[in-house]
Amino acid sequence: MSGYTLGDLRTIDEQCREIAAGELGFDVPDVVYHLVAPEEVYFAAANGLPARYSSARWGAQFDDAYGRYRRGQERIYELIFNTRPIHAFLMDGNSLVAQTLVIAHCLGHGYVFDNNLWLGAVDREIMSRVGSAADRIADYMGAYGRDRVEDFLDACHAIAIHQGQAQLIRKASAPEPTQRARPYDALFPSEVAAEREQVEGERAAQRRRFPREPEQDLLRFIEAHGHGLEDWQHDVISIVASEQSYFLPQMRTKVINEGAAVLAHQEICQRLFLSADRYWEYEKLNAGVIAPHPGRINPYNLGINILREVIRIATEPDDSERELWSWAGATDPFDQVRRVLRTYDDEALLREFLTPKVCELSRLYAFEHVSEDPRRIRVSSREADAIREVLIRQHSTMGIPRIEIVDADFRGRGELLLEHRHEGVGLDEEYARGTLTQVALLWGKPCTVRTATGEGAEQPIWFTGHPDGNSERQDSEPHG
Amino acid sequence: MTVVGDSGLPHDAGRRDALHHRERLRKKITEQLKERIGEEDIVAAGPEKKIRVPVKGTKRWQFIHDRGQGEGVGQGDGAPGDVLGPADDGNGRAGEAGIEPGEELYEVWLDMDDVEELLFSELSLPRLKAKTGDVEVTETTFDQIARNGPQLDKKSTLRENLLRNAKRGRVSLGGIDKPDLRYLSYRDLPRPRNRAVIFLAMDVSGSMTVARKRMARLFFYWCVQFLRSRYEQTEIVFLSHTTEAREVSEEEFFNRVESGGTKVSSAFEAVQDIQRDRFPADDWNIYVLHVSDGDNFTADNKRALELIEMLTGICSLVGYLEVDSNSGGSHKLAGYYEREASDLDRFVFARAAEDRELWPALRKFFASDDVEAAIR
Repeated sequence: MSGYTLGDLRTIDEQCREIAAGELGFDVPDVVYHLVAPEEVYFAAANGLPARYSSARWGAQFDDAYGRYRRGQERIYELIFNTRPIHAFLMDGNSLVAQTLVIAHCLGHGYVFDNNLWLGAVDREIMSRVGSAADRIADYMGAYGRDRVEDFLDACHAIAIHQGQAQLIRKASAPEPTQRARPYDALFPSEVAAEREQVEGERAAQRRRFPREPEQDLLRFIEAHGHGLEDWQHDVISIVASEQSYFLPQMRTKVINEGAAVLAHQEICQRLFLSADRYWEYEKLNAGVIAPHPGRINPYNLGINILREVIRIATEPDDSERELWSWAGATDPFDQVRRVLRTYDDEALLREFLTPKVCELSRLYAFEHVSEDPRRIRVSSREADAIREVLIRQHSTMGIPRIEIVDADFRGRGELLLEHRHEGVGLDEEYARGTLTQVALLWGKPCTVRTATGEGAEQPIWFTGHPDGNSERQDSEPHG
Repeated sequence: MTVVGDSGLPHDAGRRDALHHRERLRKKITEQLKERIGEEDIVAAGPEKKIRVPVKGTKRWQFIHDRGQGEGVGQGDGAPGDVLGPADDGNGRAGEAGIEPGEELYEVWLDMDDVEELLFSELSLPRLKAKTGDVEVTETTFDQIARNGPQLDKKSTLRENLLRNAKRGRVSLGGIDKPDLRYLSYRDLPRPRNRAVIFLAMDVSGSMTVARKRMARLFFYWCVQFLRSRYEQTEIVFLSHTTEAREVSEEEFFNRVESGGTKVSSAFEAVQDIQRDRFPADDWNIYVLHVSDGDNFTADNKRALELIEMLTGICSLVGYLEVDSNSGGSHKLAGYYEREASDLDRFVFARAAEDRELWPALRKFFASDDVEAAIR
């Protein structure tokens, strides 16, 4: 430890909490801090959750990130888990100022974890399940061979992300076609009979279709209907699917969550009366956290600039903003920030508050890939409307292609047909074919995805993956 | 609030999983090498140089959008129209563990020793038997259980503990103590080195184009590497043939350019002569490998097969590899063998149309006995 004790950290937490609860109105449940060695912080980061099952998958990420840390190329300061109670890892060896920033930062996360509507759907008792899942997977590795289980886990992880998103409004399922009786039916018996036959045919076709409605939850559907899955494989699929559902809400609230955490550490640290040299150190750390990432987006930077914009609108709006927001200039700014933190996800946040000022502050630009050299990009606009449109499109899907199961008896051979809901961008062929071999491994039969090339989805194409690892592309619909 | 000095987790979990990862990587490297043994840069590397192996198949598969298509948002300088350097994966997705599509392309530097270790551990000379005139060498084997030694053997320690408890009337494990401890130890065993001779016969006739000769030589290169690294006591006899065969030096074998017609039987006749002369079957395990494009004088096919049948009587293996970039033709030698000799014991033939088929061919010829038993 670097010149401070666990007691010092406790005192800092108490001071931070006092400011958070008082001036920011952030009531935060207890956080359990663990002061641990860098190696452990990096391993927990690779896992995403502590005490998860052992897998080469985490080993690869750990090897990579911990190597970068040891070469001085990156540094994680903190890790926080949305569990009950909330657990956070502090890295042993960081300075007391760094730990102060991190503790204040964690209080922002804690508030969002505890209050945000979208994060409320997370199962916070997940840790007990994570532990028992780890034990079971270790058993399976003992019984069926480590490689076999690892391969199966890899296949599960390939599609784990394709789960239904939490929805506030559910789409009603399509009604079955019916035939209504009409007053003059008796006059046209043959037409009515023909119509009845047609409606019944349609209804039968709809009932034969399986799944009846396109299915977004790939893993759970395969778990329920896959061919020839063994008991342990059912269990492994369920484990991966259920652990993944912990991460999805965090992905959709990344910007808002990091914004809240940065807001908390800035507001708290400015009120802590740090000595001049400590404040200087804090400012350096803070500047590092929120520095823009050239070529992509730093969620810390974008998040804090949007929340600061909310605060500005609440305190000194211009006339047009007064018209847009009833609360503009008429509310306590932190009240308004808390309202936003409770009910918005990233998509809603960007839609409403990505103003020209935010774009300027974060120095955002929209880009297109250069068609001659796809690795390079061309700045297409610095207008807020254009940037917002692109960002929203990305955040509504979190950058994940929308893939649904549309037929579980494709070609009448029990194969799986997936459909890529084309949204202006096609699928990467190499990755699609590789992924389909993984889906086929799970499903036990060949799996095909229907997608399209080009922006307008005008040319449909089909990729098929086989359980033996082969794959192919077809430019016309594959038939039996 | 709580601050605890520990996470309560095993501290070495990261290293443990990293080891699993590296072990899996090693297996994938081996797979990769097998596909690449036809590539010149591995062969050209020579014994001292290291070769670079990019390991494919370590990608973390996910459905991702077409790279280099579509749009994104970035941060920093630039006016509309400016072209900037490589984009960071396009969509700037923040990295939750296990979420970003992982383009993991490893490049590993291996020296030839590693390459051989990775590849040749799967191969062996089939049906290698004791012969008169075998030499004896001592080999150190770790198979002894002793009361002291370099490494604790858990299984026999537990067994001793059970035994000791049972003698005292208690049928359970427990109270493991010094008298229970057993160690894995080593002993020096005399091992016979079975004498073996391998005949490598290559068709160098006119129909063997540059590409075909290249494949044949690559195949023989790996054969020689394998034999030299695993079977030091093996004699290798090099033969080149067109319509007639002759014994050549190793250097000549790998570099000789000739042309002319093809009579495969000449090679087997030469093998037979040399064998009778210098390698009596009682003293030697005998192996024959012949590589050709299969364009033999049709009239000679029957004679070649007769000689092969004779040779299989005394050889542990007679192998034939047909290198042929446009594969197939039933008029070729492999087609003839397929019709006439597909169930001839100890005769193995294979076809290789592409470089990556060289490894499966090697596997077929040098399958270890237990693998072969499993196939039959």
